[in-house]
Amino acid sequence: MKFERCIRCTICVENCPVFRVNPEFPGPKQSGPDAQRFRAEKEKSVDDWVLLCSQCRRCDMACPCGVEPAQIILRAQQKYGMEHPRSLAHLLFANNYYLSALGSLTAPVANKVATTKIGKKIFHAMGITTYIPFPQFSFHTMKSAKRKKGKSAKKVAFFYGCFINFYRPDIGRKIIRLLESFDVDVVLPEQWCCGLPALGNGNLALARYFAQKNAASLTNYIDAGYDVVYTCTSCGLCLLHDYPGVLEIPQAKKIAGSTYDLHEYIVKLIDDGHIDQPRFTEVPRKIAYHIPCHLRALGIGYPATKIMDLIPGLEYEIFDDTCCGLNGSYGFKKKNEPTAVQLGNRAVSLIKKSGAENIMADCGSCRMQLGGLSGMDALDPAEVICQSLGITGER
Amino acid sequence: MSVIEYDVIIIGAGVAGLTAGARLAEDGYRVALVTKGEPTACLSTGCIDVCSLDHDPMHAISHLPEEHPYHLTARASIRGALDRFKSSLNEIGAQYTGTLENNRYILSALGTYKTTCLTPVTMSAVPQNDDEDIHIITFSGLKDFYPSYIISRRKNSSSSIYDAGASTTMGLAANFEQEEFLENFIVWLEKQNIRESKIAFPAVLGLESAAKIAQKIQNRLGRKVFEIPTIPPSMPGRRLFNALKHYFRKKGGTIYWSWPVSGVEKSGNIIEAVITPSEGRPNSLNAKAFVLGTGSFVGGGLTAGRSKITEIVFDLPVHTPGSRDDWFDNDYFSINHGIGTAGIIADASFRPKESPWENIFVCGSILAHTKILKYGCGHGLAVVTGHAAAKACAEYIR
Repeated sequence: MKFERCIRCTICVENCPVFRVNPEFPGPKQSGPDAQRFRAEKEKSVDDWVLLCSQCRRCDMACPCGVEPAQIILRAQQKYGMEHPRSLAHLLFANNYYLSALGSLTAPVANKVATTKIGKKIFHAMGITTYIPFPQFSFHTMKSAKRKKGKSAKKVAFFYGCFINFYRPDIGRKIIRLLESFDVDVVLPEQWCCGLPALGNGNLALARYFAQKNAASLTNYIDAGYDVVYTCTSCGLCLLHDYPGVLEIPQAKKIAGSTYDLHEYIVKLIDDGHIDQPRFTEVPRKIAYHIPCHLRALGIGYPATKIMDLIPGLEYEIFDDTCCGLNGSYGFKKKNEPTAVQLGNRAVSLIKKSGAENIMADCGSCRMQLGGLSGMDALDPAEVICQSLGITGER
Repeated sequence: MSVIEYDVIIIGAGVAGLTAGARLAEDGYRVALVTKGEPTACLSTGCIDVCSLDHDPMHAISHLPEEHPYHLTARASIRGALDRFKSSLNEIGAQYTGTLENNRYILSALGTYKTTCLTPVTMSAVPQNDDEDIHIITFSGLKDFYPSYIISRRKNSSSSIYDAGASTTMGLAANFEQEEFLENFIVWLEKQNIRESKIAFPAVLGLESAAKIAQKIQNRLGRKVFEIPTIPPSMPGRRLFNALKHYFRKKGGTIYWSWPVSGVEKSGNIIEAVITPSEGRPNSLNAKAFVLGTGSFVGGGLTAGRSKITEIVFDLPVHTPGSRDDWFDNDYFSINHGIGTAGIIADASFRPKESPWENIFVCGSILAHTKILKYGCGHGLAVVTGHAAAKACAEYIR
């Protein structure tokens, strides 16, 4: 805890998307370092407003003194979560992994039910919003993608994440083909939810359970000479920052040493001379590149832009001042709906003003929110790269 | 060629760093900017103080002590840098007013005047003397903005309070960005029967569209409108930061957030790369040259121990004003604290003196002998030295 470092400059408050639109939330300075002075380990938490923090971590990034207000709030959220009964929505989203696995198994039925009036009523009764359509489960998950063994010098264990697995395995399969086209052997290690949704819903124990299982599986591959590649930037942030941080995973350092963002990894392949610069064909399009908060927080810059710069005809504008508002499961909770909708609409209005034809974002939940609110196509950067290289994938 | 190689890496996202970065990017260099957090510019009034000792800022500069970093650049370059600041911000719709011929005043929330040079267009109508009558608007619950302070100094003024449903500068600014809110507010304003010739607001008139919002109120009310800076969160400071950031990107610059520099790779007299802390493998960026604009103590470029002042990135030699006893005046509010001279002494090419590195260029408030409080030269010096350091850096890598 670094709350003593706070000089009360309020730069964190300026950067807080929730504070901007929700007067109920006192902002990262008050909920973080200010309130921390009054929090005692043995006393029951009374500050229910910590639950209004969406954990976008923009305050952590903005703070010039290294206070990390979101980390302070995250710990307060876990403490609050342990001491109080959780709402049904919190319970469900913490267990998002199991819920989605069930959804995928029953995809044909689950998807239909989700769009009916009665389905929406059920969602509302559980405290779940329907202002954007709930994502469609995919019957075929990543586990059904076939892998062949190769002998390349570069071997990747692909941490595809829940969103790709349960909702958009087609993107996952494209990514595998993309990496294979760069002479990389790709395997799909046994994996579970990264743990971030459980953490975001105040369930530290469950988050740690997932993290321990993932850590054991991933370190096996790392020991066998594999690099871990993630594509969801929130999974990435959890693996790289929360495993060594709040989750205290012993193998975290080893994992962080060999784990790469997909685009960071492709740039590295070119850099290491493993491949020549790929022959990108023209993608004549103007794209609004919405930067997920968690990509920003990773501190690796925006690696996809280095590849975008090589694609002829592609014009992109970076939007990294706006949070999409959904924040994974945050915006799906009824009481956060107004915050999520206002933030989303603000992000969409700035994108529309730019005259972009498509939205692009590394994070599935950003794409869901911005695509849903704008009616525009929201793409994963990997989809644009695949298009430029003529790599297709069946849904 | 390596994909990750940059020509220049700027360290620090303040006015100096963003200015230097934009200038180098404009000249076609591949520029990345790395930053630990957001700059102190966000806490500022958004005004560009050039030198406040005299009504003529250029004249005031010529009377600064010879060690002042302004003297590292020619008069024409100072003028050129500030003109370019105005034109580049104009290009992206963030207009600044004021000239280098005359300093001007802005009004503070206490009703006092502050001398500055270039101001955001929303402060262009600030009365320059006590004769003009003003009507001050404030908002229910807004802390640290009490019109009575101003009225106690300006007897011909009055005020009204609007309940905006928000009581923070961020919240109010967000409301003003919504057309419906603005319309309701203007209708309320029209009913106030304001008799004074100008209307003053705390600086909350929007974030992206402040100039348009002020203009709209002005047109509907038929009276000049101006903003008064607040204590942080300061909207004009954030608007300045956003504008500089936007301009830098527009010219092709790349920004790495959450990227504090914790180490360097070096070879001979050359810095080859900067490194940021990482849980796993080293995270580094390499470049041909580095521009240091990390600011002074508040910005985090300098840190003071009991008896030693350290520059945190490259551990450059720091000019330290005598022993600790000489660092501080007895009066807390003094503008003569010795520590105001601490910083990096640069030579005419903006390289740090008495250091072996030939590819580091220093700019902004981390420079020694700036005495920013005393001379009233904060953002102005950042703009001017940012330009000059970029020019020297370009000559080096060319």
